[in-house]
Amino acid sequence: MLGEFEYLLLTAAVRLGEDAYGAAIRQEIEAATGRRCSIGALYTTLDRLETKGLVKTWMGDATPQRGGRAKRMVRVNAKGVQAAASFYNAIARVSHGVSWEAKRAGEP
Amino acid sequence: MSRFSRWLVEAVSRALEPDEQEAVSGDFVECGATGPQALRDVLGLVARRQLELWKNWRPWLTLCAMVVPLAILLSLVSRIIADGSSLYAWMYLNNWTWTYVTNAGARIDLIGYAAAVLLKFLALLCWSWTAGFMLGACSRRTAPVNVALFCLALVLAELLDAPRYLGHWLILPRPLGHTDSVHGGVYSVMFYSVVFPLIIQMFLVVLPSMWGVRNGLRLQTLRLPRPTILWACVLATVTALGTESSVWWQFRTWDLRPNPAPVPHLPSLLPVAFLGPVSYWVATSSYFKKRESKEI
Repeated sequence: MLGEFEYLLLTAAVRLGEDAYGAAIRQEIEAATGRRCSIGALYTTLDRLETKGLVKTWMGDATPQRGGRAKRMVRVNAKGVQAAASFYNAIARVSHGVSWEAKRAGEP
Repeated sequence: MSRFSRWLVEAVSRALEPDEQEAVSGDFVECGATGPQALRDVLGLVARRQLELWKNWRPWLTLCAMVVPLAILLSLVSRIIADGSSLYAWMYLNNWTWTYVTNAGARIDLIGYAAAVLLKFLALLCWSWTAGFMLGACSRRTAPVNVALFCLALVLAELLDAPRYLGHWLILPRPLGHTDSVHGGVYSVMFYSVVFPLIIQMFLVVLPSMWGVRNGLRLQTLRLPRPTILWACVLATVTALGTESSVWWQFRTWDLRPNPAPVPHLPSLLPVAFLGPVSYWVATSSYFKKRESKEI
């Protein structure tokens, strides 16, 4: 079972697709949660997910907007997608019928 | 980000793996992070990485078997050398007269004492460098924490006056300065009892050992020829350091006999102190020479 932050990271990486890398994932998570995401949490969680075999990371090309420094690219693999889907389903099931779930369902 | 902040962030991020260091630095540039933000983030990441590393038993072994003993040994030896040389410093500097130079006998004494003190200083510098080198080469990614603990152990040993009580316990060949009633006049001067040992520790222990740590960390990236010889020399130097501060075992061994014989004249292991740095210098210069000739 994934942790909350692991799920957020996987979801952000899947949403970004080919453009998933450290800074972009961080911005995505911060935009979604409205909370600050520390680089320490981001990179240690990425390592943990890679150890679990849920993502693959590699050093990408250097870009001028990053001062000529490379990005750490991220790709979620099939096992990662399955783990994220399983986490989401569990959350959906456990939330079914509770007040905040009903309120969210009623949102436009 | 100011130049100082950038320098500070880069210095801290050196504790990370090169790839991660590059990715993190790039993220800071891309996000336009301010100095304090970047520093807080990189410190957080380094702390998390270090915590992960210290879950393993190896760093603890390095800490207990190398960092603390070496710091205490160096503290002890630096105090012995500081106390010994302060006698000559007091004798010649506080009581200076040109007779020391004009009189042939006094001049020979002066040169002899100066050479002996300088040799000891040089040996201490070499021991410190070698201890730092071992620390850097064995610590690898835990080096930042180990270096901080090494410095802390040095400071604590000095503040808690470890050389003094360890000196009694180890039965040193001569009493250490503060307990020496014959030379009490010298050690009653604050400069010789407090400031001089601290100067010696800073310039002949802390700085050379940091230099050694740097060289030890660099060792991983070099493929030096015959590393076994280098390591044998490094170990010989550290053994000489241990022997220098623990003449006690020679005494103990002889004291345990039913009829203790006079202490034999054992050869000084001081020259061995130079083996570590010299072997590193030889190994690296031959390595770079070979690399240059290959490139040409």
